[in-house]
Amino acid sequence: MTLAIIAVAAVTLATVVIGAWGVRFARTTSDLYVASRAISPWWNAAAVSGEYLSAASFLGIAGLEMQIGVPALWQAVGFAAGYLALLLFVAAPLRRFGSYTLPDFAEGRLASASLRRLAVAAVLAIDGFYLVPQLKGAGIAFGEVMGAPYWAGIVVVGIVVSLYVALGGMRGVSYVQAFQFWVKTVTIALPAIVLLIYLGGIPNRPTVFGDEQPHAPPAGIVVELHQPELVRFPTATRFDAGGRAEYAHAGEEVELPSGRVALPAGADIPLPSGTPAQTGSEWARPVTSRGEGSPLYIYSLLLATFLGTMGLPHILVRFYTNPDGPAARRTTVRVLALLSMFYLFPAVYGALGRALAPGLYMTGQTDTVVLTLPAIAWPGTGGNVLAAMTAAGAFAAFMSTSSGLLISIAGTISHDVWGRGLRPASMTVRRRRFRIVAALGMLGPALLALAAQNIDISIMVGWAFALAASTFCPLFLLGIWWSRLTAQGAAAGIIVGGMLAIGAILAGALIDAQGAGGAVNALLTQPAIVSVPVAFGAMITVSLRTARPKDVSAQMLALHAPEGLGLEALERVRA
Amino acid sequence: MTPASASARRTARDELAEDTAHGELYLTQLRRAQLELSLLGLLAFGGVVGSLPLLFALVPALAHVAPLGVPLAAWLVAAPAFPVFVVIGAVYERRANALDQSFRDLIREE
Repeated sequence: MTLAIIAVAAVTLATVVIGAWGVRFARTTSDLYVASRAISPWWNAAAVSGEYLSAASFLGIAGLEMQIGVPALWQAVGFAAGYLALLLFVAAPLRRFGSYTLPDFAEGRLASASLRRLAVAAVLAIDGFYLVPQLKGAGIAFGEVMGAPYWAGIVVVGIVVSLYVALGGMRGVSYVQAFQFWVKTVTIALPAIVLLIYLGGIPNRPTVFGDEQPHAPPAGIVVELHQPELVRFPTATRFDAGGRAEYAHAGEEVELPSGRVALPAGADIPLPSGTPAQTGSEWARPVTSRGEGSPLYIYSLLLATFLGTMGLPHILVRFYTNPDGPAARRTTVRVLALLSMFYLFPAVYGALGRALAPGLYMTGQTDTVVLTLPAIAWPGTGGNVLAAMTAAGAFAAFMSTSSGLLISIAGTISHDVWGRGLRPASMTVRRRRFRIVAALGMLGPALLALAAQNIDISIMVGWAFALAASTFCPLFLLGIWWSRLTAQGAAAGIIVGGMLAIGAILAGALIDAQGAGGAVNALLTQPAIVSVPVAFGAMITVSLRTARPKDVSAQMLALHAPEGLGLEALERVRA
Repeated sequence: MTPASASARRTARDELAEDTAHGELYLTQLRRAQLELSLLGLLAFGGVVGSLPLLFALVPALAHVAPLGVPLAAWLVAAPAFPVFVVIGAVYERRANALDQSFRDLIREE
């Protein structure tokens, strides 16, 4: 564990040093917001990817895969596919339009100050939903790696991220993000490859792909429970709980006390509610008939991630750092390539975890499989080194995504909320505001993360994607490609889509707690397949019922006219 | 650039800027062509990814073929979608830039 602490400290230190190095470039407000739009496509692509790969990608996919099975990998497909949608419909026109933030786009395209306020609210909601689970992941990982209490990780990551965002702005952070992308990719790929070589492929195949359930290894298994756990035993077995010999019938539900629980060799692992009892071949099936493996849920998830990525404010603001439209396209293709490389590897951890770390099923801690697997699979120094690597990668994930979100929050508040309507503030004042908000902006989400210890990371990240897909996605697609869109229509779509998404997810969380299932539950957990079409429908219907907007051709010119025609000056012809 | 073509470019630019029917028509054509290209890319993506879940739901036999000991269906989710995305993205980038270039040529020839 000492190794892991050193590795995490090294990544944190490198982050601060690179951030401080970037500070030297952050001299103007334009630097602080968008790095002067002069970062090369590969740097920018690595920075976008670094910002994007969060706790959900680094820990969540493998954890969910281990828990529910191969259907979890659709999440990785959707996370990458989101950049294809961004490339096809948004990247170049949005960059040409030349706004700093999403609210800038909303107001610039549709000439409505109230639409801008609505966009500000949506930006803050999406960023908040996304920031809380990152901090929660940091808290859990700190506990796993160092045995620290839950709040410690939140405090440490919160302070480090606030500091370098406040000092470096986006210029410093761009280099930090690019660095952290490579940290994350190496620390997920290398341990996975080394472990597969060490183990000679995937061991325990009947459990992973065959007809066996996860069971205790030949030496038996001892699991330390930190709190009482309600589990169901798939088959009848003897077990030992807190020193007392017990017996469970097949299918019996037992409340295990906290403390040590021991199972004899070959006993099937009891599973907490929410983890389906599956044989290997059931686990490895990419589409099943129920829950998170049902086709309805998978299509809804693919839609949310495919369309939601373009609506993530912290990602989009980074596209403004491209010098022009073709550079934005180039960057996006490279992001696709970089992410594709990363997303090949989480699957390995889920499969190896099922084969070798069945104890995680009992404690319900499958989300930590990336952190705990190396030491379990390879006892000794080798495994400890690999575990230190994945721990460092996980911290890079929390820090990079949180810093991107904090920049978005600080940029939005200092640019759109604070002091707006008064006479234009000087550079110095605006820079100071950005820094104050960056220093304070972490407080709210950190408090929420402290309260959200029992809410699933993937649920909160799913909220952010569903919300983005139901609000900003239709605004962009219609705003860029449909000249008939009106401000009223856009506002109606954002309100209807956003309300529907949030309402469904809240209802889903409440109903899920009472153990309902089926298609309705799939839709409430991931409502995008309903809320996105409804948002589009509302935007189009209300637009057609309001007056045709005037002077759209200047905006269409700014969005779609290629560079190099001497038209750049006209980009500012926005109302 | 010769003085003649420079002045021609200026004229075309002014045309666009002044929203004359001519310039707006060109831009509308470009926008439509770009949108068609994007929708084509979407179709290619949808064909690959959208059909996979359906394929798995309809052809359970995919679970029984297992190259390298991993069922084919699991392989199909875990890996091949990603290179397909990159290829679609790279082809799209080239075509979109080419459309922009032909628009530029059109304006300069005017």
